[in-house]
Parts: sequence; C-alpha cells; structure tokens
Amino acid sequence: MSSRELESYRSGQPAQLADVLERVLDKGIVIAGDIQINLLDIELLTVKIRLLIASADKAREMGIDWWEGDPFLSGKKNGTGELEERLRRLEDAAGLPTSKQEQSNS
Amino acid sequence: MTSVAGAGTLRRDDLGWYLYGVVAAGEAPAELGAGVSVDPAHEVELVSEGPLAGVASRVSLQEFDEGMLPERLGDATWLEQKIRAHEQVLERVLRGASVVPCRFCTVYRSEAELRRFLSERREALMAALDRVRGQVEVGVKAFVDLDRFTVDQATRNEDIQELEKRVAAAEGGRAYLERRRLEQLVAAELERLRSVAGGEIHSRLLVAAEDGLPLPPQPAEISGRDGEMLFNGAYLVTADQSPFEQALTSVARDYRDAGIDFELTGPWPPYNFVPVELKAS
Repeated sequence: MSSRELESYRSGQPAQLADVLERVLDKGIVIAGDIQINLLDIELLTVKIRLLIASADKAREMGIDWWEGDPFLSGKKNGTGELEERLRRLEDAAGLPTSKQEQSNS
Repeated sequence: MTSVAGAGTLRRDDLGWYLYGVVAAGEAPAELGAGVSVDPAHEVELVSEGPLAGVASRVSLQEFDEGMLPERLGDATWLEQKIRAHEQVLERVLRGASVVPCRFCTVYRSEAELRRFLSERREALMAALDRVRGQVEVGVKAFVDLDRFTVDQATRNEDIQELEKRVAAAEGGRAYLERRRLEQLVAAELERLRSVAGGEIHSRLLVAAEDGLPLPPQPAEISGRDGEMLFNGAYLVTADQSPFEQALTSVARDYRDAGIDFELTGPWPPYNFVPVELKAS
C-alpha cells in the first residue's frame, strides 16, 4: 500500500456539508430536559432541512443565491404550514421526491 | 472574556452557554479560543467541573431562543454557518484531546446549569469518554458509476442484453416501455449489489476498527457526486488511522474492477459512537 494510493480516497476538500449535517444534526449526545431547545422539533425537520441545504449549496455553487433575499428562507417569516408548503415547492423545483408525492403515487 | 458586540450590546443576562462537547479536564488543549465559534462575539472557553470540562462558548439567547429556532433552521445560510462552526470547534478540540461531541444546539441558560449538567451526569459522561479515548471517527463512502454499471451488467446479464436490443429496435411508446423495464432491471441489480457488496465492505472494515455502523446512503442530490452511493459507514478507529487505512486500501483494490470508488472522510469527533441519551447518574 502506498501513501499516494491512500491520498486518492481523501477528497482534499473541506468536509462536504452533507457529511457534517449527517453527524451534527443527527448524532452526538442529547440530554433531554437539560436543554432549552426542543430537540424533537429539530429531529422532525432534519431530513427536509438536509434536502433544502443540499439544494441551496448546489445553487450557491452555480452562483444562484435568490434565497438570500427571500423573506422566508432568510428567516424573516414563520409558520409551519407555510414552511411545509415552501419546502414542497422547493423539492418539486429541485426534482426531489416529496412525502406527498410518494403517498399519492402508491 | 466577554467581548463587546458593538452598540446596543446584550446584557449579561441575555447570554447562554452553547456546549460543543465534553473533554477530560486535564486533556483540554490550551489554544481553544483562537478560531470560529457559533457566536462570533464570544470565544470558545473551557468550563471545568471536577474531572470533566465542557467546551463551550457564550451565545445570545435571543439568537438561540427555543421559539425562534424552527425559523432559524429554515434559514439555510444561518444553519450552514452555525453547523460548520460547531464542527470546526470540535475538530480543533479533537487535535489535542478525546471528546464526547454534543448534538447541534445544546444550549444552557447559565453557567450554573452547565456546571450542574457536568456534575450530575459525571459518571455517564466519563463512561462515554472512556469509550472514545484515543479514538476518532472516520467515514467511508463507496460510489458506483451507473453508466459503467449498466454496461457491465449488459455484458453478463442476458435479460439486460435482450432488453437493450429491444430498446434500440423499438419506437415511440413501445421504446419508452422497454426502456422503463431496462431501468427497473438495472435498478434491481444495483440493489442486489448494494446489499451484497455493502455487507462485505462493512464487515471487512469492521475488523480493522474498534466499532462501526452503516449509515443510510446519501441520495445523489445530497452527496454532490455523480455516482450512486452504494455504501455509507462510520467507524471508530485509533487516532493513528493507518491500520484502518490499510484495510480500506485492500477492500478498495478488490472492488476496483467492479467500478466501485471509495472515499474516506474525517477524522471526525465520534458523533456516531456516543450514547444518544445519557442515563442519570
């Protein structure tokens, strides 16, 4: 085994956001009751945020940053129903499967 | 240590403590404060309590408020910034100490509450720390090039060969249907490869690791790679990663001809190898 061979498995890039999210949002110790943040909320949102971020990240690479000026995505408005709706539209636009679609297809 | 965040600064009462992880008090690196933190106005500090120390920094409780959080989490820019900061702080710690990483957004209202946590959960935290002492987490992902895989299958699978011929010969709606069938057949073969190769890759890597677990493969939209992710796994390995890297090299050699590429990430804080919930002492 040569070290050059090993180097080829390392991307040499900063950690992929997806790899960081997979760990920081899903894993690590959680101490219920000691923390003010409602972790259940975070868990419910995790998967969708993951998709959202991945699309956002890709878009940013391509130089598209429309969401920076979007009142919802830049965090100036709220409402879970609206969040769901916007996520679904984003997922549709990105061609990602949504939970709604999966239900209606089966 | 509290720096002034410009005009209209928050009162001391408005600050909480963001906890990144827990280390042994004696092991903690000295130059922790230099570098990013989740709130740029406040450096990373160590809060020592008995044999343990919390790696923490002060944060605005307005920014990390419970009620505001769902909204914040919808803000891709905010979330990416904070999550990267969380990870970078722990990577700094990991260079000099073993660490039990906390999940994102572990916040205490006061230093007293943070200290109480460290002291009340001392036993469980020490046990978690013992388990990861001298160890780091690495990630292994395997990708397969779908075009190459399809061509490969066609050379050895007669059904696929036959279908490819029919796709080439058919027209219109018929061609569409034949192509769908071809796609389904290739997808089924891919699933078979995923379960067989994934299982073998995992068990061979596990031999060279302290512990390990398969993670759900990331869809292509998320992985950012062209290939299909065939396998995704996390392993707890000694800080000197060479025995594990040798095992990976050998696995990768055996799968090269099948068109499977490997990617090694880390060292990560051992997120996947600490208990999700701590039992009360």
